[in-house]
Amino acid sequence: MSYVQRRRFLWALFLLGLGLIAIAASATTLARLQFYQLVKDSSAIARLRCINAQTRLEDREIWTDSVFEVMQFDKGYLPSHILVRTPGGVYQHLHSHVDGVPEFHPGEEVFLFLIGRPGIPFRIVGWTQGTFRIRKNPFTGLETVTQDSAGVPVFDPQTKQFVKTGIKDLRIDLFLEKMNKELHRQAL
Amino acid sequence: MRNSIRRIAASIVALIYALWSVAAAHSYSFNEIVPDVRQPLSVSGGSACPVPSHQLTSAGSISVRWSTVLGTNPTTIITSNQTPAGQITELQQVIQQALSVWTSVAATSLAPSSLGTLSQYASADACASDGINSICFDQADAAFTPGVLAFTRIITADAIGIQVGSSAPSTEVGQILDADIYFNPSDSTVSFATPSALSANPNSYDLESILIHEFGHFLGFSHSAVWRAMMFPFAPAPGTYTGIRPTPQQPDAPLADDDRAGLRTLYSDPNDAQYIGSIEGRVLPANPLSLPLSPPNVTGIFGAHVVAVDTTSGAVMGATLGGWSCQAPGPAQFDGTYVINHLPVGNTYAVYAEPLDGAVTPANVSPALTTLCRNSTTDPGWPLAQACVVPTPDTQFTTRTLPTL
Repeated sequence: MSYVQRRRFLWALFLLGLGLIAIAASATTLARLQFYQLVKDSSAIARLRCINAQTRLEDREIWTDSVFEVMQFDKGYLPSHILVRTPGGVYQHLHSHVDGVPEFHPGEEVFLFLIGRPGIPFRIVGWTQGTFRIRKNPFTGLETVTQDSAGVPVFDPQTKQFVKTGIKDLRIDLFLEKMNKELHRQAL
Repeated sequence: MRNSIRRIAASIVALIYALWSVAAAHSYSFNEIVPDVRQPLSVSGGSACPVPSHQLTSAGSISVRWSTVLGTNPTTIITSNQTPAGQITELQQVIQQALSVWTSVAATSLAPSSLGTLSQYASADACASDGINSICFDQADAAFTPGVLAFTRIITADAIGIQVGSSAPSTEVGQILDADIYFNPSDSTVSFATPSALSANPNSYDLESILIHEFGHFLGFSHSAVWRAMMFPFAPAPGTYTGIRPTPQQPDAPLADDDRAGLRTLYSDPNDAQYIGSIEGRVLPANPLSLPLSPPNVTGIFGAHVVAVDTTSGAVMGATLGGWSCQAPGPAQFDGTYVINHLPVGNTYAVYAEPLDGAVTPANVSPALTTLCRNSTTDPGWPLAQACVVPTPDTQFTTRTLPTL
């Protein structure tokens, strides 16, 4: 590609990008759950460490039950270990899959917004929306959280606007502060 | 013989573009599974290379039934014809239309004749792991939580001769044995409207767009990161629909080129002479020390989104989630390889790579990235020589222009 062709191409990309940005303001949507709704709709909020995940067949469907160690809970009361159930998994030679369902791996730490109660498997509010992965900077030790659905422009039916919300790379102390503030507000 | 456009692959140009519009475009991806190589060669094929989930495409091989039981409290399915018989007819037409959007794409082995019966079923709980493809509008399911509008559950065989429920035994590894589409029946804030009822119900989601998207999963697609693609993970806003409505002249109009390229890759037509271009290459770090130490043997960027843009029209023609390759007997090698197949020949393309840190994150396309490996931890007794561990997708890299070769 010659210099002139490349320059022309980059201009074309630039204009295309502008067009796509405009589309972003009026296109995609998700049944959006704002942070206060995640807090409100959940019966428990906890920092968890994944221990293992097992697949089971129940009610003619394949489910994955992930066992988590409860590191701390900020809403509800949880025992030291809980079971979180998500649709899909591998059962014998059958691979059951549902797109958009979060998957967890042993050792991984997350904050989850949960529905349920001890004794029966918990479920995750809004699937990816209620899943916040914890990442630790290996050099600084600083922990941050990122929502699985972060960065997605979502449609707010009330304002009829697309907004790019979601929590991405937020310092964990700020995340906890945000959550505690919302919990306190809802308790009043 | 396949035309390769590898020369263009050297012009990975769009880093500047990627910096300010990382969210603008992404790619089709498939639900990949690794065959169970613990089974005899005759039923597993012997290779641990990932295989995309797919339906059989012989005549009449894809049957679907749908439950005519519709919720009334709350009413979640809105039609323009409110008589019971009129509702059923209208919904049947929307389902048929949504199916034909995919089967009418040119140059694929998926044809209108691949569709079997579209039958009706007068029971609410038609959806289960029973080997029968079903659509349910009023079946409560434990998987639903707030914010989930609809989903498709597919069941794929990782060996030949596997059955689920009343399905016929699988004849191919990766064959989809059951695909069920669930619409949320119990959320009082969510409703779905047929195209003819949508304008009068602007707070409803477009049933046709969501059905077309779910049929994409039904056919084996995972999510795409191309913003205008039908397989983008998020539904259009209430009162709106994705792309263009299908017409008799262009029945696949709602799809984006990325969807079509994906379908041609998944259901390739051996007689196709037009969409046979491919672009391939590797995405490598400038500093190899930046590659992860664990798991071992990662030699390229994993999880990069590589996009092919038609330089004349500026359209995204195809894209892929790059970072791995596989040669039988496997396992997958995480060497930064990307391949974009089934591009129209005769066009000129530019290719760019970007991290999945924009509108679509690795979590949104996880099945295309996390199911590439099996090992003795995931599957006891898995042979070590065919085992691997999927690395974490690299979402931190930036790209720069390389000189044209």
